[in-house]
Amino acid sequence: MAIPPGRYTLGPDDATLTVRTRKAGAASKAGHNLRIEVTEWRATLDVADDPARTAMELTADARSLKVREGTGGAKSLDDDDKANIEQTIDDEVLEGAAIQFRSRRVAPGPNGTLTIEGDLELAGATRPVAFELTSGDDRRLRGSARIKQTDWGIKPYSALFGTLKVVDEVDVEIEGTLPA
Amino acid sequence: MVELDHSFENGKPADYNWHAILDLDRLVPCVQGGRVVERTSPSEAKAEVKVKMGAMSMTFAGTVAVVEQDDSSKRAVMKVKAREVGGQGHANADVAFELNDGGGKIHTAAQITGKAASMGEGVVVSVLDGLIKDFTQRLQAI
Repeated sequence: MAIPPGRYTLGPDDATLTVRTRKAGAASKAGHNLRIEVTEWRATLDVADDPARTAMELTADARSLKVREGTGGAKSLDDDDKANIEQTIDDEVLEGAAIQFRSRRVAPGPNGTLTIEGDLELAGATRPVAFELTSGDDRRLRGSARIKQTDWGIKPYSALFGTLKVVDEVDVEIEGTLPA
Repeated sequence: MVELDHSFENGKPADYNWHAILDLDRLVPCVQGGRVVERTSPSEAKAEVKVKMGAMSMTFAGTVAVVEQDDSSKRAVMKVKAREVGGQGHANADVAFELNDGGGKIHTAAQITGKAASMGEGVVVSVLDGLIKDFTQRLQAI
């Protein structure tokens, strides 16, 4: 279903912004695949009568990432482990730098899907990114983008002398309900 | 038992390396996460190594002792006996150094048990190899 024209503001009350990381390396058994939620963010979606004139902006607080789940590890993550990961994200990965996305071009597709291309500022670098945003009859919104950390100059986290690493590509997903 | 061979180059005279390596207060911190807890004799110390594994970490605490020392050939063997803090595992190793002008060779024979070993020998070899390579890098500045 096409999103009706209008200006929509989205945030953690209406939707979830999730980052999924995967582990790799010889000692990957010691690590976890992570589901991390961005808890402070805001997006605006300006849907025009002509969908091609639609625009989207999103800002997120890089220090608001919370580890919600770790899977595939030899031992389950406790609260201290999760806090350690969050600290590492703050200190060594995102370093609290601004996160901002601004669309440049929006192309309408079948069934109301929008292909959104734009610029993402992350860890002090700005690079292009594209993703599809779909909406269902029940006003559910969904979109996901694959981000290659090194494209933004981020060194993927590694431990145990490089035998345990986070895969360079992480998935960022937005999912929620379009506000009325 | 895992056996590994490494070498290091630091451009320093053999006598310098010999005295540096036999000084456990200088040698132990060259292991990432390693520190001397207490020097119990000129050739022995209580020490611990904290290994970060992503979110989690394991600490091994025990002793390191110089058990063989040949001043003329500049060959020394150190025996490491450590136990996982709060766990059931052990990490024991005989580390043999052969020093010469400019660097030296290191032969490690290690036996790891417990949680770390449960990840499989291939993983243990990869991690130990990484740890010793990192150690040899730090020996460049000892």
